[in-house]
Amino acid sequence: MPAVTFDHVTVAVETDHSPEPKVLLDGINLQLSEKRIGVIGANGSGKSTLLRLVNGLVQPTAGRVTVDGEDTVRAVRKVRRNVGFVFTDPLSQLVMPTGREDVELSLRRIVKNGAERRRQAEAALDRLGLLHLADQSIYELSGGERQLMALAAVLAVDPQVLVLDEPSTLLDLRNRELLRATLTGLEQQVIMSTHDLELALDMDRVLVIEQGQVAFDGAPADAVAAYRALCLDGAQTRPRR
Amino acid sequence: MRGHGFLLANYVPGTSLIHRAPLALKFLLVFGCGLASFIIVDWRMSAAVLAALSGLFLLSGTGLKKLWGAIRPLAAVLLVIGVFQWWMLGAPTAARIVLNITVCVVAASLLTATTPVQRLLDGVVKTAAPFKRFGADPERFALTIGIMLRSIPYIAGTFADVRDSARARGLERNPRALVLPVFITSVAFARQTGEALAARGLGEAEN
Repeated sequence: MPAVTFDHVTVAVETDHSPEPKVLLDGINLQLSEKRIGVIGANGSGKSTLLRLVNGLVQPTAGRVTVDGEDTVRAVRKVRRNVGFVFTDPLSQLVMPTGREDVELSLRRIVKNGAERRRQAEAALDRLGLLHLADQSIYELSGGERQLMALAAVLAVDPQVLVLDEPSTLLDLRNRELLRATLTGLEQQVIMSTHDLELALDMDRVLVIEQGQVAFDGAPADAVAAYRALCLDGAQTRPRR
Repeated sequence: MRGHGFLLANYVPGTSLIHRAPLALKFLLVFGCGLASFIIVDWRMSAAVLAALSGLFLLSGTGLKKLWGAIRPLAAVLLVIGVFQWWMLGAPTAARIVLNITVCVVAASLLTATTPVQRLLDGVVKTAAPFKRFGADPERFALTIGIMLRSIPYIAGTFADVRDSARARGLERNPRALVLPVFITSVAFARQTGEALAARGLGEAEN
């Protein structure tokens, strides 16, 4: 597995309503080499920022992130070839009218021959059982089918690492199970943020992010318990109106 | 999100003569129709061109439903334009203008309904290749066309959603309640699309 390393990473952004920058992540040190890594935490805790750092979509204010030794700022193109990113909302990710066209778009950069590109796109769709939906408008697909289509478009270029930002948030139970089964069968290293604690329990290692810091890092069951404790603690200490 | 207000027809697989026709010829047809809309001054000529194009559309086997689907989203706008032009310039001019716009839409739909998007993009890349010497990236031209094709239904869908929300709040007559959310959603969509393209390494210059 390629190692994703966070070395004293801090991310801070300027805001309109405060003279001080808002710290989204604060001094993160991590070495992620397990096959399946889950990231859980409350809304606004810094999960998405952590994931976006892996693909170079967000740059650290301090510290550095590397994927397989490549710096995500200096070698961002190389990193993006190795790191696929799946967003929460597949509609903002699928940029072509049909799934086949979107998968072919992913392949355009590496496969110049049209016929070969088509063959590889069909193979990528077939791997996820989506070939029969290849020519349907993305608007005619269900949420789960769209999410799998977005996944197929990312997997078509065979990344080493797959980052998923809350991929099951918009899915119903059936589609969530479909996604879960698909993710289980993947060869890639998977780093996924989720609010779905059942999905988190499938991982090899789970990080709990709280207010821009790693509040817990360890086995899934322990991490989920730690997260529950954090949430309950937060709910009890929140002032009542 | 609704997204079916697609102005141009999606590709329909087929083996008709029009499907197999060279892409350059189809491009020329669309270009010619666009040019003709400025040149044709007789509404009967416009009607004849529209009839011929509709015939080609049906010959391609993509179906009457697809043809109507390409025109229907424009019907209300065409009606407004037609009535206004009829009032300002008379019936023959109004008919010519409405028919010429319809000709352009049908010609473009004929192209998109009988050509896979990837083939269209390959064609754009080939056409834009001479600009490479000036530092332009032909793949970016193609990506721009692809995203444009994808964005039209998204924005149309956004408009339908926003109109429903405004109606639900009794604000359907308030233009601000219609225009501002569509504008904001479109900007957000553009940002998300940009982010998705960056994450996939698309649109970056070739090494």
